[in-house]
Parts: sequence; C-alpha cells; structure tokens
Amino acid sequence: MKLFNLELITNKRKIIGFSTFLILLSLIGILYSTFNTSYKKPINLGMDFVGGNELRIERVCEEKCSDISPDSVLDNLRVVSKNKNLANNIKLQFQNKNKLISIRTPYLSIEESNNLITNIENIIGPLNYESKNSRLIGPKLGKRLLTNCATSLFVALFAISFYITIRFDRKYALFALLALFHDLLIVFGIFSWLGIILSVEVNSLFAVSLLTIAGYSVNDTVVIFDRIRENLRSSNQGHNETIQLSVNESFRRTTFTSITTLIPLLTIILFGSYSLFWFSVSLSLGIIVGSYSSILLAPSFLLKD
Amino acid sequence: MRRRQGWLFLIILLLTLSIYLLINYPLQLGLDLKGGSQLTLQIIKEEGNVTKDELEAVNAVIDRRVNNLGVSESNLQTLGGDQLILELPGEQNPLAASRALGRTALLEFRTQKEGTSEDLKKLDLQKSKIEELIKLYSFAEKNLKGNEFLITIQDSLKEIEQKLNYSFNSNDLYGKLIEIKKYVEKEITNLFIKTDLSGKDLINAGRRQEQTNNNWEVLLTFSNSGGDKFAEITKSIAGTNQLLAIILDGESISEASVGSQFANTGITGGLATISGSFTAEDAKELEVALKGGSLPLPIEIVETNTIGAQLGSKNILKSLYAAVGGLVFVGIFMIFNYRILGFVSVISLVLYGFFNLALYSLIPVTLTLPGISGLILSIGMAVDANILIFERIREELNDGNTLTRSIDSGFQRANSSIVDGHITTLLSCFVLFLLGTNFVKGFAATLGIGVLISLFTSLNCSKTLLRFFTTYQSLRQKNLYLPKKKFSN
Repeated sequence: MKLFNLELITNKRKIIGFSTFLILLSLIGILYSTFNTSYKKPINLGMDFVGGNELRIERVCEEKCSDISPDSVLDNLRVVSKNKNLANNIKLQFQNKNKLISIRTPYLSIEESNNLITNIENIIGPLNYESKNSRLIGPKLGKRLLTNCATSLFVALFAISFYITIRFDRKYALFALLALFHDLLIVFGIFSWLGIILSVEVNSLFAVSLLTIAGYSVNDTVVIFDRIRENLRSSNQGHNETIQLSVNESFRRTTFTSITTLIPLLTIILFGSYSLFWFSVSLSLGIIVGSYSSILLAPSFLLKD
Repeated sequence: MRRRQGWLFLIILLLTLSIYLLINYPLQLGLDLKGGSQLTLQIIKEEGNVTKDELEAVNAVIDRRVNNLGVSESNLQTLGGDQLILELPGEQNPLAASRALGRTALLEFRTQKEGTSEDLKKLDLQKSKIEELIKLYSFAEKNLKGNEFLITIQDSLKEIEQKLNYSFNSNDLYGKLIEIKKYVEKEITNLFIKTDLSGKDLINAGRRQEQTNNNWEVLLTFSNSGGDKFAEITKSIAGTNQLLAIILDGESISEASVGSQFANTGITGGLATISGSFTAEDAKELEVALKGGSLPLPIEIVETNTIGAQLGSKNILKSLYAAVGGLVFVGIFMIFNYRILGFVSVISLVLYGFFNLALYSLIPVTLTLPGISGLILSIGMAVDANILIFERIREELNDGNTLTRSIDSGFQRANSSIVDGHITTLLSCFVLFLLGTNFVKGFAATLGIGVLISLFTSLNCSKTLLRFFTTYQSLRQKNLYLPKKKFSN
C-alpha cells in the first residue's frame, strides 16, 4: 500500500539541483549577513551570546491598555534618564494589545535595571511586578556560551559521525553525513535570512535545536539506508530499482514519523510559551528538511548512473 | 505465554510504583516555572585556571553568606570549573543578594603612617564631598526635574578634579564620579600600613543600632590570637595622632583614634565595632559578608534571571496545554492509522509518560521549560519507534503471514533501526549534558531519559500488550490491524 510512487531514478538531477539551490540560497544569506548587516556575523546572535538585558513586564491597566508609541516613551526616557548612552540603545516594544512591554538594552547592573523599570513606570503607569521576566547577561558569559555551544555541536556531530561509520560501511556513512550537513546548513541559512529580514535572533536554544535536528536527520537516513541494505541483499531486481523500492517502502514511515513529531511542535508554536517559539520553528524546519533529505536526497547519492 | 505474562505483571508493577512515586515525591519545578531569581557567579582569576580547591572554597563562602541572608530553599551549585549558580525561589529582586554575595569582603586593619594627618584630612573632605555628589546624582536620576542638579554636580566635580590634580578616563558623569571615588579611596588606603590582623581573625560578626542616633554599627568578635593582635596594634598607636583604619575591599570604611588610656595594654577583650553611619541594610550586608568569611578569589555576577511568580504559573499552564494537546492529536493520528495497533501504542505512550515523570521525581530532575520541550521531543522518538514496528507488521500481514508471526517479525526487523536512531539521539544528549549550560542540561536530561525509557516501552511494553490483546479471539481479525485492504489469503 503506497501513498505515492516516488520516481527517484528519473528525478535524480532535479533533486540534487533543488538541494544545491537551497544550499546556495543559505550560503548567500550567511554571506550577506556576515558582510552587509549591522552585526557582521553569519547569523544574528541574540542576547545569550553577546550579553545584555532583556526585560518583559506587563502593565496594570483597567480594561484596555492605552496606546503609547514606543518612540514617545523613549523620548521621555531620554529626558528622565541621565545616562544618555543608555536611552539611545534601548529597543522597546509593546505587545499583546499594548499590555506587555518588552525592552532590550546593553548590559546593565541590577541596580541600573531596577532604575530603568522605575523610570518606565513613571512614564507609562503602574506595572505588574509579578509578571516580570528579566535576564541580565554579562558580555563575558555570552562569549563563553557561544564557544560552549559551538563545541557541543562539533563534539556531538563528531560522535554521531563516528557511530554511523562503525555501523555502516564508509560510503553509506559519508552520504548520511552529507545529508545531515545539508539539513543543518539549510536551517542555519533560513535563520540567517530571518535575522536579515525580521531581525530574528538566535539563542542557546537554537544550538540545542541544531543538535536535535542532527539526531533526527541521521535517524531518518539510517532507517532508510537500513532498508536499502536489507533489500539489496535479497533482491533480484537492479541496483537502482531496489533503492527506489526501498525508499517507497519507507516513505510512509518517514512521513508519519515527521507528522507525529510535528504535531506537538505545532502545538508549542501555537499555544506554548514565547521563549520556545523560535526553538519550535527551527525544529519543525529541521524535521521537514530532514525528512526531504532522507527520503529523496540521501538515497539519490546511492543511485548508479 | 507464561513469559509474556511475567512481562505484563512487571509493567503493571512499574506503573503502580510510578504512581506511588509521583504521589509521594512531587516533581521539582525550575525557577522558570515557579518564579524567582537565578544568579550566575563567575570566579575571576587573572592567571591560570581556577583549581578545584579554590572552587570549593568560594562555594563554601557563598553558601555561608546565602544561609546568613535567610532566603529559604535557596540552591547553590557549581557549574563547569569556575562558575556557581545560585537559585533564590520566590525572590523577585535579587539586588540585596547580589550586593552581599558579590563582595570579596577582604577585611584589613591598617595603621596610619606617621605625619600624614594633613593629607588624610584633605582626602577625607574630598571623599565626603564626592559621596554627597553621588547621592545627589542618584536622587536626580529618579527625579523628573533632576537636570538642574546635574549642572551642580558637574561644577563641583570640576572643583574636586582641580584640587586633586586628577584627570579622568570616563566620559559620562556617573563614570567620573565612581572613578574619582575609587581614586580617593585608594589614596586614603595608601596612607595606612598593613598589619597582620585581617578578616581571617574573626570568629563572628553582628550588628546593632547605635544608641545615640538611627545609624547601625557592625560588631566584630576576634579569635583569641586575633584579639591579641588587635590589642598589640591598638597599643602601638594609642595616644598618638595616628588612626586605625578598617578597610573593606580596598575602601576605608572606618577610621578611629585610640585613646591614651590604652597605651599600656591596648584594647583587650577581642571585640571591636565598626561605626560608619550604616543603614540597617548596609549593616546586614556587611554582617553577612563578614560572617561568611572573605572570598579567596573575587567573583562577578555574570547573569541574572528574574521570573515573576505569575509568569511562572502561566508558563506551566501554556506548556501543559501544548504538551497535552499535542499528545491527544498524536493519539488520534495513531488510532486512525493503525486501529488496534494504534490503541496499543496510545496505552504504551501513557505508560511512557508515567515512567518518565516517575524517573524525574526519583533522580530528581528539576523540570524547566527546556526540560518540557525535551520531554515532548522524546515522545516524538517513542512514537517513531512504534510507527517503525507497526509499518513492518503491516508489511508482513500484507505478505500473507499470520498475525502472530507478523507481530513477531515486525518487532524483530524494526529492532536495529530503532536502536540506531535511539543511540544517535542519546549521543547528542550525552554531549549536551556534559558540555551544555544549565539551561541546555535540562533539555538533554529529559530527552535522554525519554529515549532510554522509549527503548523499553516501545520494544517491550507494546509487544507485551499486543500479545495480551491477541489472546482474545475477537481481537485477532486481521482487518482490525489493516484498514481498507483485501488479503490474498
């Protein structure tokens, strides 16, 4: 019982072309982000990695919260705050029907941060301190986190590569890894673009999501390669035909798995806490790209011309 | 068959045990779910790495200080080789804690160099002027009409600058104030000579309100040898115009003369008071810092997270809805596609949930937001294992095999894929747990535990349950396993 019959053999060129296109697009995003943006990094690094102060607090309003433009608050803040440097470097947003204020500043001491809240309370009215969420990260720690995340990522990738090299023969391992780096590069590229267009920042959860994607992607590819290996041993059809058959046999499993993993992620995106939003988005993207690469791309590498 | 019943018995036993655990040892919630403050303290060492002994020594001092602060249920743990994480549940404003903890609290007793009285007088005058200016500044900072004060501050600062013949490095007003304050403090400290009496000679510290005014003073109790040293020092300067300075972290917090009546014996009794016009809060912070002893290495607070209690409970509810909602959808999807098999997987997923939570309370794992997302993802892994098996069973059935045989070989043939997939994920979790920050560790822990349990539930629980169901004749019709499909036999 097959949902589709995937014509892998005839479409090999299209698949590889499409992947090359996606990779090029990602590379352009990464390069553009490195040279043409204000932050000059391959990806827009968030507060976790560069340090700073992030503050979210709700206003206490009767029925409806009055409409205040962030600019007017900043103007007032410039008058009130004696630290001119600070007032010019604040990013201020109102969300959730003007109820939620979210503020980003460079690194502050706890005292300065408290002063800032008092000042803002003077300008826009009472705040609900029970709803406060504040993070202060020193620049030193940020740098450390960045190296820490990068190391974890590389060590884990190395460990995974090592494992599949022992489990499979070298050719299979190489292709599984190619598919894996393809997935990671594309997700990274998408977030480079998101950083350029929507100024989305990545935090340490993004690094975690890349690692999780790595695990999933390898898992998916391994399952299909397992099947191909098994069928090649027993099959009396041609090499390419057997691969195509194996992919079609595994197709249901891979899509079903992706769907069942995507469902909880979608519920987090829609109903979950805001801090998990981009994390879930990046995981979902990774799972979609990962399924594509393990169904179509990785087996295409194995096809003989 | 008997062997399978053994498994069934084991599963029921484990389930009862899990429920028992969950009732008696409730889950520990992280700060992001219950509200509170979290401080990350970085030990600063100029050269070389922080050794294990140094880390432990800092940990001990901070631990004593936290206890003296009187925050209930605080939690202090080391992270990596040179960081400490302090959690203060319920605390919404970590300012006081950060002040009492961040201080090195190196207490020194110094005697004044001879013939420096004039210099000291001059410096003390400037110091009090600067302190006034700083007070005025923070008042102006909070006041909407504070701008006129700033001009006053600027003018006075210029005057001090000329008197001290000092040139500034900072550009902004506040930076200048702090800079010159430090400079003056250093100059004052330089007028005094070190003695061998220090904070190490203390055995206790306390505080009390002065009787004549509202200021507070801090009481010091020396050890026996410390008391002797103190007597010796006070004897040497008694009746002269040299002062005794108490210096904390390089700043002179109190300077006092010793009366000539102490010229013979010095001040004995092993007690001293520091009266430097402290407020109640200042006195408490100093007491806490001194009681805990001085830090062997300075520390810096590199991260502060504060989460309001309301926000915490909101986070719980949201994640709970998301998780439960997601699971219900997954369950519907499985039953729709796999019928009886789907039903079996739903039961084994429920078991899976219980086992997971029970392990969290047993180990214990503190549940945080990233932890919850790790749990949700691990459920994805568990479902995946079931799907792999069921697809195989289906294929076997399609090939015309009997139900029992199909089930057996389905499990057998899916085995290697499942193990491979789980091991690669476990590897990532392992690395994340070893290298990751606290935040990341929570995720790695729940995902890792989930993957381990999934190996058990998907390979064993599902199989046992399926075997159990297939003992009933009415549940053995193939079309309960394969929807909309005609069979060849």
